[in-house]
Amino acid sequence: MSLESDSRMRVFRGEGPGAWLAAGSVAFSLLALLALLALLAIRGLGHFWPADVALVMLEDGRQLAGERVQEVPLPKETGRERLYRTGNRDLDGTRWDWVAVSAIAAVSKPRDMVVLERRRWGEAIGRLTALESETGERVEGEAAWAALEARLAELTSLRQALDTLRDEVILPRVRALEAGGDVGRELAIANARLRELQAAMEGGQLTLTTADGERLTVPLEQVVRARRPNAMSPLDKIIAWGEGVWRFLSEGPRAANTAGGVWPAIFGTVLMVMLMSILVTPFGVLAAIYLNEVAHQGRLTRLVRIAVRNLAGVPSIVYGVFGLGVFVYGIGGTLDEWFFDAALPSPTFGTGGLLWASLTLALLTLPVVIVATEEGLARIPDQQREGALALGATRLEMLTRVVLPMATPAMLTGVILAVARAAGEVAPLMLVGVAKLAPQVPVDGDFPFLHLDRKFMHLGYHVFDAALHGGDVQAAMPLVYATALLLVLVILVLNLTAIFLRHHLSTRHGVLGRR
Amino acid sequence: MTDTSPPLFVRRRLRQGRDRLATVLVTAGGIGVILALLAIGVFLVVEVVPLFWATGATQVVSPETLWSPLAGGDDSVGHRWDPTASLVEGESPRVSLVPLAWGTLEAAAWALLIAVPLALGAASHSALFMSSRLRSHLKPTLELMEALPGVVIGFVAGLVLAPWVERHLADVLAMLLLLVPGLLLAGSLWSCLPPRLQQVMPLGWAGLWLLPWLLLMVVVAQALSPWLEAWAFDGDLRHWLEARLGLDIAVRNAMIVGMAMGFAVMPSVYALAEDALSGVPRSLAEGAQALGATRWQTLWRVVLPAASPGIFSAVMIGAGRAVGETMIVLMASGNAALMTWNPLDGLRSLAATIAIELPEAGPGGPHYRLLLLAALLLFVFTFLVNTLAELVRTRLRRRYRRLGGGA
Repeated sequence: MSLESDSRMRVFRGEGPGAWLAAGSVAFSLLALLALLALLAIRGLGHFWPADVALVMLEDGRQLAGERVQEVPLPKETGRERLYRTGNRDLDGTRWDWVAVSAIAAVSKPRDMVVLERRRWGEAIGRLTALESETGERVEGEAAWAALEARLAELTSLRQALDTLRDEVILPRVRALEAGGDVGRELAIANARLRELQAAMEGGQLTLTTADGERLTVPLEQVVRARRPNAMSPLDKIIAWGEGVWRFLSEGPRAANTAGGVWPAIFGTVLMVMLMSILVTPFGVLAAIYLNEVAHQGRLTRLVRIAVRNLAGVPSIVYGVFGLGVFVYGIGGTLDEWFFDAALPSPTFGTGGLLWASLTLALLTLPVVIVATEEGLARIPDQQREGALALGATRLEMLTRVVLPMATPAMLTGVILAVARAAGEVAPLMLVGVAKLAPQVPVDGDFPFLHLDRKFMHLGYHVFDAALHGGDVQAAMPLVYATALLLVLVILVLNLTAIFLRHHLSTRHGVLGRR
Repeated sequence: MTDTSPPLFVRRRLRQGRDRLATVLVTAGGIGVILALLAIGVFLVVEVVPLFWATGATQVVSPETLWSPLAGGDDSVGHRWDPTASLVEGESPRVSLVPLAWGTLEAAAWALLIAVPLALGAASHSALFMSSRLRSHLKPTLELMEALPGVVIGFVAGLVLAPWVERHLADVLAMLLLLVPGLLLAGSLWSCLPPRLQQVMPLGWAGLWLLPWLLLMVVVAQALSPWLEAWAFDGDLRHWLEARLGLDIAVRNAMIVGMAMGFAVMPSVYALAEDALSGVPRSLAEGAQALGATRWQTLWRVVLPAASPGIFSAVMIGAGRAVGETMIVLMASGNAALMTWNPLDGLRSLAATIAIELPEAGPGGPHYRLLLLAALLLFVFTFLVNTLAELVRTRLRRRYRRLGGGA
């Protein structure tokens, strides 16, 4: 047999086609995972980049201005079409425009295109023609832009002053008044100051000329932000991008969850997960200690162990059903009858809320913690326990001084895995207390400060709701991507911590075993 | 007895008493927690029972209506799930659980069809061929993939993948057709490479360096798909499917659910299958290779049969996860309670139905209890499947110990 034919035959005779298909399935899975993460990262982070505004002239003489979103082949015909986000929903009734590429005559990027973010109606895109200040002065041209920037900075600081006044002066006074305190005079002064600030914010408007020549007048207090993306340098854009990311993380949602940030959802997720881990850790560790250290290691214990392990595989929605039936309707309903009789028929604890959600998720993640802790306990060599007992320690002392410190990393791993699982679960929450939009955060200055009966917002549910139930899904998509990315990042970090801990643990016990 | 240091025997008493108290507390707490966990099953059974035995106000639903077709149904659809409209006085309830169970199993079947070959291929590759460095990185990577929340996968599947697939049906078909030949081509091309290049790209790292090759395959498939469409499907695959095969095509369909859930289930099947494969005593594989078998032959004839119970339990665990997954089905399936064999039509699963309807169904009513019955079905199914898998796995571990000890 010649050398050449040998080398050609070797792959199929040597390893066979199966080996390549097997290698291919690894590559395919990795590709799918990478594609998913890349999609989330690019779309989620790209949304905050101040994209250039293109001024498009069409063959038929029409003009439009907007950010280019995507380009796809035309259905049933040759050629492609482009989607522009043109904003100005109050003028055109839509904020999107599909244009066939073949119908475009010219595309330019004039430096004076302005993108306004408004409180209502979303974005407005056009050229700034005039600015009328609150005193009635009218400025035009380039000076108008400078005046607008100055006025917007002023408005931002006024708004901040207003917020501090409301949160730190007025609301506590109102509460004191409700409680019977004598603060009427102070409240009147504060209210006067409030009106003063509000008056200072009013007045002034700007005129925008859109690409097709229409005029749009916007009161200045409606403008959240204004920018000229085509005139921004890359550094400016990076700064604007960072500010956008920060606002996304720190602000509440606007416009029916299609704009604004996700701060209440982050807060709700973190709070719920924290409550859950406070509940799950002691009980999970207790059950694991009982199963591994106290219980007689017989047939029954083995069966219970298998059952607990299997409960980790029971669908999360079943836990949600249990939570709704037992916690919300059962315990919650009874609590309402006993203690919140006055508020009935509107339920206090008899409806989904933070407490029930945390309890349900604690139950859901209990098997995870039990299994992980038990593994850690089983890995501790029996000599350690026997040594402690031989030195005269009681079983309690042996457990608390020798066994538990050695099993701490395993417990921590279990809790982190539980937290990662709980942070991503949405299905049970839909039954026991998550809300589309919770006006009140569950923590505030009112006694008892932490309101366990309130509904809360959750990142995962935010993704579900904005993606499927929003009015303008196309407009909500970038934010959904960003929220999904945030959720994935949180869970990846938690899991990486658990993996790192487990690695650390196995090397430490490897050393122990060798000794 | 002085206050500062009590005598020794009192201290010992105190310690022993504390110890006994702690043991009692731990026992009580442990049993309590475990009972609370097991109470889930009891609760579901207790709540479902009044559905069939009348107790005062609750309306009785006869067991037959849950699975037998409607008598005198007006059309071909014999089984209906329509509780909100039909659970009123004077109407025969249309609350057959059959379409929901059908949807659940259909979605799970598609998911397993995609996940199992991928997971088994990946597991056998990483157990036998992969370099140990890559393997130590691959395992945690796939664990991370397992941890991806269902709502994110469901969102990407339902709102990004589904519209894309709808527009590029032919591309997807071309990719599927090209995948296997493309990989085989990669194998034969590799064997033609000079040995030095083969050393640079060994089979042990193929999981990584095949990535660009797969990307190339995607591009080639996209380039070829118009030809494929023109040659085999009269220029429009969608139209051809609708006209020739009479298939309805929904944007969010069973195929999409299968892909997304296959992606979600694959890592857990992989992890268990890989454990089973790499747990096979080395002496077996080494013996086979010493007798002249190639690594693939060793895998196929020796390692796989030895590990088959473990593989079985891995698939069972995967099935349990696929049946109970809620968010992916909810977001990617369209939630129409249909019973068709058509993979391009929508479906509605038990879990998704519970998530949608339970918040609206008042406690204690027949609708509420029906949904609890659905939850009970899910609970019993997954519990049985997992127990089976666990028992098989314990037996397997014992077998390995025997094999390893005997050899």
